[in-house]
Amino acid sequence: MSRPIVEASGLTKVFPMPAGPVAAVTDVDLTIGEGESVTIQGPSGCGKSTLLHLIGCVERASHGSLRIDGRDVSSLRDAERSRLRLTRLGFVFQRFFLLPMLTARENVELPQAEAGIPRGERRERTIELLSFVGLAERAEHRPSQLSGGEMQRVAIARALANRPALLLADEPTGELDEATGAQIAELLDRVHREGTTVVVVTHDPAIAARARRRLSMRSGRIEESAGDARPERAGGR
Amino acid sequence: MTSLALAWRGMTRQPARSALAVVGIAAVGALLFDMLLLSRGLVVSFGEILESSGYDIRVTPTAAIPGAGPPLENVSSILSDLERLPELDEIVAMRFGRGVARADGSGDVVLSLMGIGPGGAGSWSIVEGEPLGTVGEDGRLPIVINRSVAELVGLEPGDSLELAGYRRDTLAPPPKTFRVDGIAEFVFDRWNELTAVTSLAAYGETLGEPDHDQADLILAETRDGLATDEAVTAITRLRPELHAFSNEALLARLRQTDFSYFRQISFALTTITLFFAFLLVATLLTVSVNQRFAEIATLRALGFPRRRVVAGLLWESALLVGSGGLLALPAGWLLALRLDAILRAMPDIPERLHFFVFQPRALVEYAVLIGVTGVLAALYPVYLAARLPIARTLRNEVVG
Repeated sequence: MSRPIVEASGLTKVFPMPAGPVAAVTDVDLTIGEGESVTIQGPSGCGKSTLLHLIGCVERASHGSLRIDGRDVSSLRDAERSRLRLTRLGFVFQRFFLLPMLTARENVELPQAEAGIPRGERRERTIELLSFVGLAERAEHRPSQLSGGEMQRVAIARALANRPALLLADEPTGELDEATGAQIAELLDRVHREGTTVVVVTHDPAIAARARRRLSMRSGRIEESAGDARPERAGGR
Repeated sequence: MTSLALAWRGMTRQPARSALAVVGIAAVGALLFDMLLLSRGLVVSFGEILESSGYDIRVTPTAAIPGAGPPLENVSSILSDLERLPELDEIVAMRFGRGVARADGSGDVVLSLMGIGPGGAGSWSIVEGEPLGTVGEDGRLPIVINRSVAELVGLEPGDSLELAGYRRDTLAPPPKTFRVDGIAEFVFDRWNELTAVTSLAAYGETLGEPDHDQADLILAETRDGLATDEAVTAITRLRPELHAFSNEALLARLRQTDFSYFRQISFALTTITLFFAFLLVATLLTVSVNQRFAEIATLRALGFPRRRVVAGLLWESALLVGSGGLLALPAGWLLALRLDAILRAMPDIPERLHFFVFQPRALVEYAVLIGVTGVLAALYPVYLAARLPIARTLRNEVVG
């Protein structure tokens, strides 16, 4: 396997609930190498989104260890985790979550500005990314002026803005019709082919089938792993 | 994009709501500004009136407000002693009473009559004619009247005026003949008040008490280069039985007594206004945060640290409070002018006295109070945003 981006060992997340603690993720051991394309499937409530949130450092594990891009994230302070998310991770959400008061261009520029990238460089990068997702012509449109598929493409461009080592997508086609979902899946494939490690949580077997490595979760555990773990790399988006 | 720019875009995204918020804060801010103008306005205005007399020390026989207590006896002796003090420049005695003037065609007119010692220039300014003179060759006594007396009785400088004094609420006959030397504006005049001033000697004659060596008040001016307190101390040391007040001390007493009602009212209303401003801003920001949980969680997931989210909300608060607060100043000033006019129309209020007086200090206090309120009001929404669980919020937004 290539250099590991994600190294989880005994990863567990327990949520305190009124009726008693509920383990959403239990004792997960997982390694994802640089350049891999991974999908995580499973029924609702099986813990796949929670696992993605743990890997994405927006949730802290109850037990176990987790290293992202070589860093032990369990010991990181909140500001350090934020910095890690900003510079090394990219998020794509089911509901896009674009900032409604900003244009497509501004949404893509926002994480770059936060990372301190100079204005000229981020303008260039933004145009490149919007062209990559096929929305260069819609750069000055606000989210309310875009279709669902277009919003998700802008969200993908935003997730790639700071050249993340790992792109995490949580049900990226969940809000889209089948045809548009297929376009988004194709776009994520392109992102992967250009060198970004991609992890996608999905219900959709068609999306899952596109990945070289397919994980299946049930009751908070990874039950089976299918496919080839070898990375497929090309350029570098 | 800076936190300020992001906050601005957030506000302009819902212009109607933001405009209503700014107007609401402007309304509350205008009231706050007015209460600050009122809190010291009366004292400042009264101080300006006191200063305009040119005398900075008032001497009375008791601790009562000048004019409210018994008269000073043996005034000649007191004046003689005070004149020897190197700390004092000019000294003059005054008496306050009432007189009845015979007005052609309109019957008798009761007016406030003052007597002032030789050379004294009290709190009035001549607008027509000459200052108070001496007894004329024709035996007419000198008098300066205000415009109301002049218009009501129909007098001009040089005219004669028949005037009788009141002594212990009894008319002192017979009336004396006065010569109107000038028409003046008296700073302590109430609206439409009838006022006249004559010499101390003429005052005594008018009241039928030419030999009474009395005064209700002695005014003194501190010599240039000396502090008023030094002169007050010198007077008290020389004549311990007298009560000498500097203008500041008199104002301090008024602040604690007569003017304290306005101070208390302004304090209570300032507190209430600040509380409403706090509630308004806190509610607006809390609602704003609640409506933007997904947005905030997204920013956090993208890697924006807590301090950036906090800064965004503080900027949003600053923009709302700043815009509303600035708008409040002209609105508050116009409201203050109107309220001032209403309060000044009350009976027994000197015409030149104002209740709402602008001072730079009030502006600074306003800025500090509204700024602190804005920050305090932002604390709860900031806490909500800073503690927002990212993953759970994103999950809830998807499920919701």
